[in-house]
Amino acid sequence: MIPFVLAALAVLLVWVAPGLMARQKGFRRAPRSALWAWQAVAVGGILAALAAAPAALPLLVGDDDPMAHLWLVVPAVLVSALVVVRLLVAGHRVGTRLRRVRTDHRELVDIVAQHDQRMRILQHPTPTAYCIPGRQSRVVLSQGVLDALPPDQLEAVVAHEEAHLRGRHDLLLEFFSVVHSAVPEPLRSPPALGEVRLLVEALADRAAVRHSGELATARALMTLAGSQAPEAALGVGTTAPVRLRLLADGPPHPALSVIAYSYAAVTVTLPLVLLGLAWA
Amino acid sequence: MPHSTSAPRLGDLERVVMEHLWDAASLAGPAFGGATVRQVLARFEGEREIAYTTVMTVLDRLSKKDLVTRERDGRAWRYFPADTREALTAQTMRRTLDDMEVTDRRTALLHFLDGATNDELDDIKAALAEIEARAEGDPGTSSNTGRRSIIRRR
Repeated sequence: MIPFVLAALAVLLVWVAPGLMARQKGFRRAPRSALWAWQAVAVGGILAALAAAPAALPLLVGDDDPMAHLWLVVPAVLVSALVVVRLLVAGHRVGTRLRRVRTDHRELVDIVAQHDQRMRILQHPTPTAYCIPGRQSRVVLSQGVLDALPPDQLEAVVAHEEAHLRGRHDLLLEFFSVVHSAVPEPLRSPPALGEVRLLVEALADRAAVRHSGELATARALMTLAGSQAPEAALGVGTTAPVRLRLLADGPPHPALSVIAYSYAAVTVTLPLVLLGLAWA
Repeated sequence: MPHSTSAPRLGDLERVVMEHLWDAASLAGPAFGGATVRQVLARFEGEREIAYTTVMTVLDRLSKKDLVTRERDGRAWRYFPADTREALTAQTMRRTLDDMEVTDRRTALLHFLDGATNDELDDIKAALAEIEARAEGDPGTSSNTGRRSIIRRR
């Protein structure tokens, strides 16, 4: 029974849960704990997928020494190994691609942009602000942003980007990209990546609010949202309206975080408990 | 090579060399005949000690990145910036938006915003109005600015 429960749990955590979680918009107000919940679901799904085959062994072998039934042990190990290999391959592909894009871009920015202590400034009238994460990270602003925003709002934008870099939000996004591409295509959940991205932005916005205040952060979002063309190719809406709504709604009820953390703890421990039960 | 200091130094030199080529090109106008390694090296005289081969390496790297082009001139090469600084800046800006697949790009570079449609702007304005109203009721929240104003205006 338990191996089937684990297999079902893997599908549930990888495929069903992300879709359901992406709809729980209330948790956007507690982005930190929500991100823990998202990570826990991904890790829990991986653990359940890894544990399903080994959990079947005691059932098939009974009280015998498992080593006497190698024709069962070997396939069980192979199934788990397949999961690991898929993850490693996806990790390598995504990681290599991201590092190359970032390095190429950073080198270009370092050559064309003006250097400032905290940032690089591109001499271009289109307002844009972003960071290039990695070991040699950069905050990049265009002259258009410097012209469009008064100092307090500019501080909010820079604080937002620096929060991304300090919090290593890139690693978080990379982790979810890897899991996303490691999961077989029919079981992928595209809303998951979008929701995680939004949560990461909401988290950085809160850092901006702590640094520059709510008003400056909200006004910066408003000014830049109005001066940038929306990204057409995305299909989903842009993040600006949601993020401003989050700022307007203020801090969450403390219970939200408690729920998210409890949920995270359960999703990670459940596969391990089930595996333990199978072998007990 | 985590302990090597040559990578950032070369990056720094790449920028200075490109700036020199851009300056020379804009000074000479359309008649710009390129710059040799020796001419670029002369630019550093009195500023910092740099070997001829270092400048050669830097120009070689820049040419591999398609940032400079070169023409044979007898036994030496003459180097030209492949684009004006403005064109390259515009290209960099475009690259943050166009070159990659959407998913990759949004993971590679973290943008402050991804723009908004006109409909969304209405929602945004409504939310901002709420925040502004709240800030007026509680002036303490709006004065929390400029605590660390290091940003220089240009």
